[in-house]
Amino acid sequence: MTATAPAFTGRRRQRRVAEAHLGWWMIAPVLIVLAANSIFPLVYAVFVSFHNFQLLIPVPHRFVGFANYARIFRDALFWSSLEVTLWFIAGVVFLQFPAGFGLALLLHRLRRRQDLLVTLFLVPTIIAPSVAAFQWAQLYNYQFGPLNYILGLFHLGRPTWTADPQLALPALVFVDFWEWTPFMTLLLFAGLRSLPQNIVDAARVDGSTACQVAWRIYLPLLRPVIGIALVLRILMSVKLFDIIYVLTAGGPGTVTENLAYFTYIEGFRYFNLGYACALAILQLIAVSLLAKLLIRMTRRPGVAHVIPAGGAA
Amino acid sequence: MKHRWKNVHRHGLAAPAAFSRRGFLTGSAALATGAAGASLLGDGFIAPNAFAAAGTVNVEVDAGQNENPFRWKSAQMKSKFGFDTKLIGLPFVGQYEKLVSELTARSSAYDVLVFPPYFLGDFVALKFLRDLDQYKSLMDPKLADYLPVYRDPVIKRNGKTYALMYDGDLLQISYRTDLFENAKERQDFKAKYGYELAPPETWDQYMDIAAFFTRPPQLYGTAFYAARGFCYAWFVNIFAGLGGKWFDDDMKPGINTDAGIKALETLVKMKQYSPPNILQIDYPTLNEVFLNGSTAMVVQWDDLPLKVENPKMSKVVGRGGFAPCPVRSYMPYSRVMAVSAFSKDPENAYRLASYMQQPEVSITYVYDPDCGQDPYRVSQLKDDAVKNHEGKPTMSPAAAKSYVAAIRDGLKAGYPELSIPGAPRYLDILDLYVSQALAGSLSPKAALDSAAREWGGITDAEDKDAQKEAYTAWIKSFKDAGVQY
Repeated sequence: MTATAPAFTGRRRQRRVAEAHLGWWMIAPVLIVLAANSIFPLVYAVFVSFHNFQLLIPVPHRFVGFANYARIFRDALFWSSLEVTLWFIAGVVFLQFPAGFGLALLLHRLRRRQDLLVTLFLVPTIIAPSVAAFQWAQLYNYQFGPLNYILGLFHLGRPTWTADPQLALPALVFVDFWEWTPFMTLLLFAGLRSLPQNIVDAARVDGSTACQVAWRIYLPLLRPVIGIALVLRILMSVKLFDIIYVLTAGGPGTVTENLAYFTYIEGFRYFNLGYACALAILQLIAVSLLAKLLIRMTRRPGVAHVIPAGGAA
Repeated sequence: MKHRWKNVHRHGLAAPAAFSRRGFLTGSAALATGAAGASLLGDGFIAPNAFAAAGTVNVEVDAGQNENPFRWKSAQMKSKFGFDTKLIGLPFVGQYEKLVSELTARSSAYDVLVFPPYFLGDFVALKFLRDLDQYKSLMDPKLADYLPVYRDPVIKRNGKTYALMYDGDLLQISYRTDLFENAKERQDFKAKYGYELAPPETWDQYMDIAAFFTRPPQLYGTAFYAARGFCYAWFVNIFAGLGGKWFDDDMKPGINTDAGIKALETLVKMKQYSPPNILQIDYPTLNEVFLNGSTAMVVQWDDLPLKVENPKMSKVVGRGGFAPCPVRSYMPYSRVMAVSAFSKDPENAYRLASYMQQPEVSITYVYDPDCGQDPYRVSQLKDDAVKNHEGKPTMSPAAAKSYVAAIRDGLKAGYPELSIPGAPRYLDILDLYVSQALAGSLSPKAALDSAAREWGGITDAEDKDAQKEAYTAWIKSFKDAGVQY
């Protein structure tokens, strides 16, 4: 026994090592695909962002350190596109979320035809954004658009929706609202359905009004779902491109040019790849920090204390 | 010998049972002798165009009406050369970035590239195009018949031919003769402005006429391409008329000089004489606002008159008059055909490009209202040539005379579109800032100062000395062609 024990331990170690190796071999294809598809492009983008990389100028690319990043903060178009991006984010937080939550509550209260309504609600979301933008281009048409026709019936004038510097951005924020509020509704509705009904019943027995239930029970309990919904939608609104490209191409002037469109112009119209990569990396860092902050806020302890004592009983 | 081919592979392919080197050499020699003999027999044995056994020539062109001439001629090219023509339409705005992205990746998706000449400087520098001089023996492009302004300055770089013309573009005025020739209108106009109502010869006159005919919502004095993407061209059209130049001798931008600022102020002021949706107006909508009778006068590319006289498209048939722009007429866009450096069939690509611009072929489409092509050959500037691709007249003789004269006079005072390395970026930056001034986000001076600052950056990035050299050579080619600059 004494002679075979070390041999047995050695074989077991060998087997463990072999199993560990086997594990690595088995996940190797995934790691290779991940490295090729995500990690390499990201690392290369970081590399390019530190170079004077202009595709159209046939000269060697120079290392320029943080010059591209420094240029971003001096670029007036960056600040104006950041402002446009913030308007879209504000649209998500102050329009889409309240409207989505309200619609989710209405759906939740319905006893019949919930499935049909959910399907209908989803129609704007499942339409390709570029197709939706074409539809809205028709709706906003100054001369033939139904919107102006209806306004004309009431002698309310004929706005030039996407051509008016004052109206173009609100018009686009509204298209985003129309397209993605149902998505917000769906996420919050799913969250509402997963909440324990006994808490709500207990609150009602204690005399809570519908508003109190919504404000003091649903909202706190839905905090993780709200956090996910807001993070997803804010990320999507930062990346928003299709409806801007189709409806206004960033115009009139640059009043609807957001960060994603500005980065596209720098990267694919002027082919300033170094600068475009610096813009993209900066957005990645900013959005990652924002997402982390939002997720941390939704995980803060203290959800339990908002449940009324009666409800908990 | 009989059994030699009887073995069959498991995939069903017959294979020689005793394949020897001697057999192979004997067979090859027989085949080569047979082919050589057959070719000597001439037309009766092998078709004269057997060289074109290649299947398809892929043509990149901005999608829409500009594809039509290729469609009309594809059957002729099939019977003459044997190849099929496949059209790949790209969007008008965005064509440059799409082409650069694909050609940088050495894509062979396109054999023939149709693009505006202002891409040519970049495309030659980036080695995207083949030198066409090497293929001229396949089919003479008959360049001597080109209008001088479209020959050396537009299709050549560094003494080599890189492209052939497909469309000669020019901005010109289309105006409503029923308004301009109306006795009461003429009387009222003279009483108000102190001179006769006629097609404007200065930009001040243009603005007077535009103001005079602004009677919303039924009629607007004018309209112009104000949407982002090409509004810069309408600024340059005025800038040229006010004596502006792209750069000075030291490559200092000329756009923010007094001529530039006055030109942009004029364009911004022109908005008040235009339909309310002016900032949305692009090429098709600009056509539309004239063709539907809601505008008295527009500056537009020179294919609009053909549409004016087409009853299927126009409510103002017989009421269109045509004139060159005040002082100078800007020549934006145009289209040339070039052979991609990455084409796998450059000879057939050249045959297609050369065939499409032959005098007897091009004359059939440069006056067709169903496409956007305009004259670029001396032989095309004839009143009786104004016919569609089926040979039917597209205008009354009087309208055709006025139209061809407007083109001829416009070209005499044509203002060349910038076409040096970096031109698409210079023009795109200019477009961005003109668009910001039109939107009211920046004053004309601030917009043009910003554009000029960015132009300086482009010049430095491209290498100032090289740019100066390219610009000087390009200007010289225009001066040699008889264009004043």
